[in-house]
Amino acid sequence: MSIKDKYAFVGVGLTKQGKVPEMDTDGLAAQAILLALKDAGMRKDEVDGYIFQQGIGGGPHGTLPLILTGIPANFCWEMPSGGCYCLNMVIAATSALEAGLCQSCIILHATSASSQRILVGAGGPQRSTQGAYGCYGPVADGAFIARRFMHLYGLTRRQLGSVAVTLREYANKRPEAVMYERKLTMDDYLNARMIVEPLCLYDCCLVNDGAVALVLTSAERARNYKKPPVYIMGYGADHSIREIGPSTEAYLHWDGFVTSKAGENAFKMAGVTLKDVDVAELYDAFTPFLLSQLESYGICGRGEAGPFVEEGNLRLDGAFPSNTSGTELSWSYLMGFSHLTEGIRQMRGEAGECQVKDAEICMVTGLGPPAPGSTATCCILRR
Amino acid sequence: MSEYKKQLPLITAIDKPFWEAAKRHELVAYRCLNCGTFYSHPTDCVACDKPKMDWVRVSGKGQVFTFGIYHQLYHPAWKEDIPYNVAWVKLDEGPLLMSNIVECKNEDIHIGMPVEVVFDDVTEEVTLPKFKPVK
Repeated sequence: MSIKDKYAFVGVGLTKQGKVPEMDTDGLAAQAILLALKDAGMRKDEVDGYIFQQGIGGGPHGTLPLILTGIPANFCWEMPSGGCYCLNMVIAATSALEAGLCQSCIILHATSASSQRILVGAGGPQRSTQGAYGCYGPVADGAFIARRFMHLYGLTRRQLGSVAVTLREYANKRPEAVMYERKLTMDDYLNARMIVEPLCLYDCCLVNDGAVALVLTSAERARNYKKPPVYIMGYGADHSIREIGPSTEAYLHWDGFVTSKAGENAFKMAGVTLKDVDVAELYDAFTPFLLSQLESYGICGRGEAGPFVEEGNLRLDGAFPSNTSGTELSWSYLMGFSHLTEGIRQMRGEAGECQVKDAEICMVTGLGPPAPGSTATCCILRR
Repeated sequence: MSEYKKQLPLITAIDKPFWEAAKRHELVAYRCLNCGTFYSHPTDCVACDKPKMDWVRVSGKGQVFTFGIYHQLYHPAWKEDIPYNVAWVKLDEGPLLMSNIVECKNEDIHIGMPVEVVFDDVTEEVTLPKFKPVK
């Protein structure tokens, strides 16, 4: 049974992004929930489902944000941490709505990674096989992919840099972006310090504090609230691997993530094709992740992602405007919520100077955790 | 011998035979003896209907599949090593192993580079298989 157009986003609650040392993840989560209800014009007793995940360095604690806000939820579900799980929360929330478990559902991400001064992936004192070889941080996966793409397709650092610079230009137009006031030129990129070569500082997502809460409800109810509903047309997930079972090829996503089932199922449910997409928000924890998805979703051909971005195709005046807030690389790192939040805003016409004119259909993706195997999610939104 | 400060591998019941073999300076991989399929994680064979799983000795030869050079320090014990490499080596038999490339400058490492295993006895208990270029 298809859920096409049956459910919609009606509330977006975004706290301050960046450094917010005065609040912890529970406080941020509670604030985001209250902002989302205010945005929707929804009463507390109208929302009764709650799904959240852990962020970098931890997240909200169980029902505490519900207690802090006085939300009488029927359920409180925790999803794993990771970039694909925001859209899995959308799948879970609509499933709960479909099953009649709630009338409206909050999905939420909150993090205090910046205030906790976390070096993501840094090794502790415990034993670790990867640590035994000095392999720390998810950035390594980005470096391994970039190196493969350089070898296979001639990907250049300038092409990686064009992802970072394009997204920064978007963030420079968005006052709430963590990097709003920080320009980034190609020279800055090429001279930046290396993290795990061939990736430098600007190939990596931000680490910041902040929270966002999104409220979903049925299409019928959605009409009662303040903001124009943003409908969920379709979604899909792909947890498949390159080869089933045998050999270690299953672990080799470095020649390109496997996202085919996520895209096929999402577009099939939505009844539209890639050609109908006006704007896309693609998961971008590291620049090679975005490049890999441009190819795996068929937005450009195999090996063409580097030149595709370098030619300006992700810009507002390009062939495929994407990541229009600057997303995880330059706007705010809220795992997959960075992309879904901007997708909803584009469909509402709330993207300010980064608004894609007359945009009606948006593609949002999630990805990861990347290893082992591939984990991808895709969602199609419409206004 | 001064105290070894880097992390040691997490050795579990699952991969204990791998680390015991390394201590003997032998490289082993997990394989179905019935059909010959290699696995990266001990489990039953899904390629045949008569799984007969065991660790078997492999040649120790392979190629660099991909690699990264660490400039960012994540663990204090690696301070003197920066910049250091982490590589995935694809063994001639098929399995893929994370390791370090030794006896080679970082700038000389490239994808497809033929390598062979060497054994680094980092403590009395633990030996890490690493790889050097085939001369």
